[in-house]
Amino acid sequence: MLRIIAKSLRTGVLTEVQPFGTQPSFGFPVIDFSRCVACDECARACPTGAISTATPEPGRKTVTLSYAACIQCRDCVSACPEKAVEVSHDVEVAAYTREQLARTASFDVEPSSGRGAFARVEAHTGPSFQESADRLRERIHGRLGRSLHVRQVDAGSCNGCELEIAATTNPLYDLERFGVHIVASPRHADLLLVTGPVTRNMEVALRRTYEATPEPRIVVAVGACGCSGGIFGEATYASIGGVDRVLPVDVYIPGCPPRPQAILNGLLVAMGIREARLGSVAASK
Amino acid sequence: MSAFAAVATALGVADASIRERRPGELTLEVEARTLPDLADRVSAGLGGRLVSLFASDERSSLGRFVVHHVWSLAKERAFLHLAAPIDPATPTFPSIAAKYPAANWFEREIMDFFGLAPEGHPNLSRVALHDDWPDGAWPLRKDFPDDRVVPRLSGDFHPFRPVTGEGVFQVPVGPVHAGIIEPGHFRFGVAGEPILYLQLRLFYVHKGTEKRFERLPWRHGISLAESISGDTTVGHALAWAHAIERLANVEPPPRARSLRVVMLELERLYNHIADIGGVATDVAFTVAASRAQTLREGLARLQDAHFGTRLMRGVVAVGGLKRDLPAGGEDALRVHLEGFKKEFEELLTLLTSAGSFTDRVDATGVLTRQAALDLGIVGMAARASGVDTDFRRDHPHDGYEGLRFDVPVEEGGDVRARLMVRAREVEQSLSIIRQVLDAMPARSDTPLVASLPDRLPPGGSALGWAEAWRGPCSHWVATDERGEISRVKINDPSFQNWPGIIQAAPGNIIPDFPVINKSFNFSYSGNDR
Repeated sequence: MLRIIAKSLRTGVLTEVQPFGTQPSFGFPVIDFSRCVACDECARACPTGAISTATPEPGRKTVTLSYAACIQCRDCVSACPEKAVEVSHDVEVAAYTREQLARTASFDVEPSSGRGAFARVEAHTGPSFQESADRLRERIHGRLGRSLHVRQVDAGSCNGCELEIAATTNPLYDLERFGVHIVASPRHADLLLVTGPVTRNMEVALRRTYEATPEPRIVVAVGACGCSGGIFGEATYASIGGVDRVLPVDVYIPGCPPRPQAILNGLLVAMGIREARLGSVAASK
Repeated sequence: MSAFAAVATALGVADASIRERRPGELTLEVEARTLPDLADRVSAGLGGRLVSLFASDERSSLGRFVVHHVWSLAKERAFLHLAAPIDPATPTFPSIAAKYPAANWFEREIMDFFGLAPEGHPNLSRVALHDDWPDGAWPLRKDFPDDRVVPRLSGDFHPFRPVTGEGVFQVPVGPVHAGIIEPGHFRFGVAGEPILYLQLRLFYVHKGTEKRFERLPWRHGISLAESISGDTTVGHALAWAHAIERLANVEPPPRARSLRVVMLELERLYNHIADIGGVATDVAFTVAASRAQTLREGLARLQDAHFGTRLMRGVVAVGGLKRDLPAGGEDALRVHLEGFKKEFEELLTLLTSAGSFTDRVDATGVLTRQAALDLGIVGMAARASGVDTDFRRDHPHDGYEGLRFDVPVEEGGDVRARLMVRAREVEQSLSIIRQVLDAMPARSDTPLVASLPDRLPPGGSALGWAEAWRGPCSHWVATDERGEISRVKINDPSFQNWPGIIQAAPGNIIPDFPVINKSFNFSYSGNDR
């Protein structure tokens, strides 16, 4: 016993005062659209369709990058012949809708070379960050205050997201100091922290868990698979896809898996303490 | 005697009928009706252990299904792959499960996914498909499109075994559990606190992964392999990469092979320390649990600093690695792991000298050696029940040939034995990493990844494997006539090991079940895929 106390005294407090703002070597890819020629190489390299291109009309092309499906493999960075795909060091990314996680740029295509010239960044559909934040605050209505009880639901995950969610409870991140407590039953929970892809075989259990959660209940989708189906895709025989295919989702935390501070950040966004954003380097320039 | 001659003699076939299409992978086409007899010969005559048993649908090219038995022949340092064609007009194959329970789930999965019935199987109920899936839809057949959404049958009617008797009742647990863990359903039959028996209902997180591989371009397969089981990213990425490398006849550069060993051992370290902490959590020894979590977080950050991601995702490439260590990485790894070793030894002393801890782990959740052998238990769980098996030694891959390491084996089969095997494996992993770093081929300007053909050889197949922290991961990959992926069979050790917990739980009390479960820590996602 004495030895345990001595060791604990020597160790001291490990909890990091400021878990946010660290700069890992890689957050999400960022396309510098002014250098992009809409050549398709990054879209071909992307295993999940997080980057896609389309030709809405002759002479015009669009390039879309969505963090919802991005598994952070960096294959787009090395695939780009124009070196237009850069690296962001910001991982504290969250949004209120799937659309908010995507940026689309339009390009005028030069007919002879097929090269695109950047025209503009398109506005995403649906509400803005501010509108969503207001709506969530209104719905939750201050009823939760600064305490949040969380039930985690693995609705199909590979377990990678669970490892990082569990890491938020370790002594270094210590999520309980933010008033966040992981509870054992949905009946005690304010918020469901759901990972995906939602499988056919977990859909019923997920719906029942949601029904067992008292109002006002918040749903947070975690990870590329929870946000979009990720590498497993949507509407296959076994994978339904993103959590929003089954439940109304209030906050999306992308990443494969999202780092512990990204999960903490997303929870604080759901509580209205932090603001949702795509990162310090926006996907549009 | 050569591996060929030994195998031919034991099986009673001509040498010439056995082919070694890839090094260490002996292939033999056999008649399906001979499979049970061959299983006896392989098991008794060659000491074979079942690695995998699966089917493939070759109706469009060759007008047949094929049932595959893959055995590990540790003495011969080879795998024996028996391939038995099945006529689609009579969609059955002979079962070996009554005699070799290791084949039990494998054969039922073939029934669920391919509609081929294992004749003579003692339990023909479904294992993979859930009850709301209709009969007659077999998702791994080639004529079943992966985007076909099959309507649910209504009802909630899984036939659990009933319990009867005074004071005897059932406790249902899951699929949504109380902790931050994966989903699965446990149905305990109990008399008071002691468990009489345990029934499992898994496959809640079945994601159609094997079918998904058939849809993705092969170059994207590595990302899917990394997501088979989140805590075994490196293990499954290597098994996949090895299969493709063997198929395409590509050899990774020596430095990549060495770094792959470092990564696989780091993965072993962080999982073992996390699970040791998990057992401490489950017996409410919070000081030890916190220290284990801290050590584990240290490794996640070490991995982040050296490989760019905390769980080492996006690093393994087919043909090598996507990136090298940062400058000075070797030394930083050495320094961190020296400190880790000291802390780990202190933690182990703390645990083993606390009576309140040892009381809970000694003689808890015993999986006997005989049960482990009968069920074909693999990896760490097998070694804790006295079964000496390790692909790193028996079928060396990457840079393991020539390294000096022990394969720790414990006889007890209880939670303590699994903890001690893990603790001794931590020591071995640290020694392996040191050896590899000391002999690391120097950096050069040549890339860490071998060049790959644009297209895989058509009509080929190969087995890839890696002994990950939980046990052997293996992938069998086949290509069609265009060189696209036509079938991938994924083996996660959890699929072979889950039945072990049905044997280990009875006789223990329910509050000990989380401790038993954590000491094994099987993957649900790896099992369900």
